[in-house]
Amino acid sequence: MKIIVPVKTNPDLQMVRIKNRQPVLEAVPYILGDLDKNAVEAALQLQAEAGDTQVIALTLNQGNRKIKDTMKEALAMGADEAYIVTDDALVDTDQAGKALAIAKAIETIGGADVIIFGEGSHDGYSGQVGPRVAELLGVPEIGFARKLTPGGPGIQAERSMGDFIEVLEAPLPIVITVASEINEPRIPTLMNIMKAGKKPSTDWTLADLGLEAADVAPKNKILSNLAEEQDRKNIMLEGDVNAQVAALIDALTREGVLEA
Amino acid sequence: MEKVDVIVVGGGLAGLSAAYGLAAEGLEVILIERGDYSGAKNVTGGRLYVSPIRNMYPELWEDAPFERPVTREFITLMGEGNSTTIEFAADKFAAQPYQSYTVLRATFDLWLSEQVMEKGGMVIVKQRVDDLIKEGDKVIGIRAGEDEIGADITIIAEGVLGLVANKAGLRELPSWKDHAVGFKETLELPKEVIDNRWHLAPDEGAAHLFMGGVTKGMLGGGFLYTNKESISLGIVLGMKDAKERVDKIDIYTLLDDFKANPTIAPLVADGELVEYSAHVISEAGLSGIPQLWGDGYLMTGDAAGLALNQLYTVRGMDFAVASGYYAAQAIIEGKKQNDLDAVGPAYEKMMKESWVLKDFETAKNILHFIENPRIFSHYPNAVGRLFDRVFTLNDQPTDSIYTKVMSSVKKDFMNVTTAKELLGMRKI
Ligand SMILES: Cc1cc2nc3c(=O)[nH]c(=O)nc-3n(C[C@H](O)[C@H](O)[C@H](O)COP(=O)(O)OP(=O)(O)OC[C@H]3O[C@@H](n4cnc5c(N)ncnc54)[C@H](O)[C@@H]3O)c2cc1C
Repeated sequence: MKIIVPVKTNPDLQMVRIKNRQPVLEAVPYILGDLDKNAVEAALQLQAEAGDTQVIALTLNQGNRKIKDTMKEALAMGADEAYIVTDDALVDTDQAGKALAIAKAIETIGGADVIIFGEGSHDGYSGQVGPRVAELLGVPEIGFARKLTPGGPGIQAERSMGDFIEVLEAPLPIVITVASEINEPRIPTLMNIMKAGKKPSTDWTLADLGLEAADVAPKNKILSNLAEEQDRKNIMLEGDVNAQVAALIDALTREGVLEA
Repeated sequence: MEKVDVIVVGGGLAGLSAAYGLAAEGLEVILIERGDYSGAKNVTGGRLYVSPIRNMYPELWEDAPFERPVTREFITLMGEGNSTTIEFAADKFAAQPYQSYTVLRATFDLWLSEQVMEKGGMVIVKQRVDDLIKEGDKVIGIRAGEDEIGADITIIAEGVLGLVANKAGLRELPSWKDHAVGFKETLELPKEVIDNRWHLAPDEGAAHLFMGGVTKGMLGGGFLYTNKESISLGIVLGMKDAKERVDKIDIYTLLDDFKANPTIAPLVADGELVEYSAHVISEAGLSGIPQLWGDGYLMTGDAAGLALNQLYTVRGMDFAVASGYYAAQAIIEGKKQNDLDAVGPAYEKMMKESWVLKDFETAKNILHFIENPRIFSHYPNAVGRLFDRVFTLNDQPTDSIYTKVMSSVKKDFMNVTTAKELLGMRKI
């Protein structure tokens, strides 16, 4: 079996500060998002169960100048090979452009039996790219799988529907997005990190996929991207401790936080 | 067991400097850092003296992401109800080559780790070295989780706590009594505001130190370094003194009091807090330096106790880079001569013959000198009292300047204790 896991490297959100409601991205290192690691982990578990399976990590470089290092995380987890598509046109593309580039890259790699995405990207979280790729490749898609097992006509997947669990069987090839609850991504060991450096990693540009910049030009435009603003009540309580406590209880009661 | 030439434990400046030197010579080196990346958890005040280390890796410093060169020095003595500030500027400090720069470790260490990788060194982050592997007394590698890797030489650059070295029986755990704790805030301010507040030409920087009230008379002081678009503001406090002298003060309130002080408040006004950090510093000086090497290993940087309180500045980063450099040089030479037994002694010799250990030798009495509480309470107040008298004019007949100065000097400075302290100063 051949499994391709398209992953996104994104700025380490823990390191992003908000200034004037805008994210400050300068000098923020890129990492593989946790949701992407769920996808890699799911692929590795399938590989372990199915045997004789190749796991390929694929990414579009959207301005991560150390993308090779970031992709080593996927290789260190256990992916066998990495493909990196770097092109200026990809930096500002949208979900449609990304899906097209990923679909073309999958075709250029020679197709896959299973293509696994995370449930959404760690930063933008549109959750669109997986289904779009399925559409472009003309293969079925299962969204938000919480369990995968090889079997049946190809693969079995479980989805949580709230009150009940849906079990699906699908033939291959197939696109699957996995819910974050599906697994706990493994933390690479030192040895595997060392080995990761020696695994094959291929660099492509859009031209290698038979695409031009115009093909991935964004079809929608982001007008603004602002951090949520929370209005604080800014109430200062005055007086001695007893008076302040009384005033606080009174204020909380009026807010309905405490019951009178 | 997989084996490489050198393993470096810890990716602060000491470890990175060693790994860079080794990788540049083509040795197979693996540096293991437990943080998310080099610089993520590393704390410093903010001033790196480049002059001492410039010739070690001359090609490196050209493109280094320094914040600002320090061209102006400020010292403020904080008395009760007053403060006296000395501002010093010298043309030579404002000209290339600059002797020192302010730095932010998150940027600086990360950059240096990239230089190491560019030279072919392997920097592995998010991995903790749990223990050293020994064969008899010889260190032959490291253990991280389930994995073991062997090395001809292991460089210990784990920083001040020395847990790995201690666990492997290479050194005692450092005593808290010989240490200071430093805590600091990074406050963002626009470039021009920083330039104006410290009288700086664009892209020039200031180092501002504070003594006296900032530590409520305890051993230590405050520091303020100007970065490109932020300031690093912090306090360093001797732990023994803090415990013995003023047991009742919550030390973390000192920084807020410091910022609220009328002298400091306008300097830090509107600064937006972007980072808070705290860390331990060795104050043991020469006596805190353990055996620098043993069979199969070398100790560098804070892990080797290489931090120095010189009263007007805390040094450690330059020692970290220098010790890493000498460790690399000693190993490169040992490899060339095919004589690894010579590495340890060669490293120690380079450290002893260079400014590194000589500066520790020179400073060995400073610690004793600054253990005197009067330095942090009496003198800042005495200087304040003197100027208070000089500058005060009210509806009473005023004394002559001479009388004002002399009465203050007689009272606060012309006494046996001060005379003794002056004599004591000859040693520092
Ligand atoms: C508040 C304060 C102000 C200071 N001001 C100045 C100043 O202005 N100028 C100056 O020159 N010096 C200053 N110093 C001293 C200076 O910061 C230190 O001497 C310097 O950081 C030492 O560098 P190092 O590489 O030896 O240690 P560190 O920077 O502490 O690096 C050690 C590294 O090892 C890693 N590590 C530890 N254990 C393990 C393990 N088991 N496995 C893997 N990795 C591990 C840590 O994560 C860390 O990254 C100051 C220090 C403090 C605390």
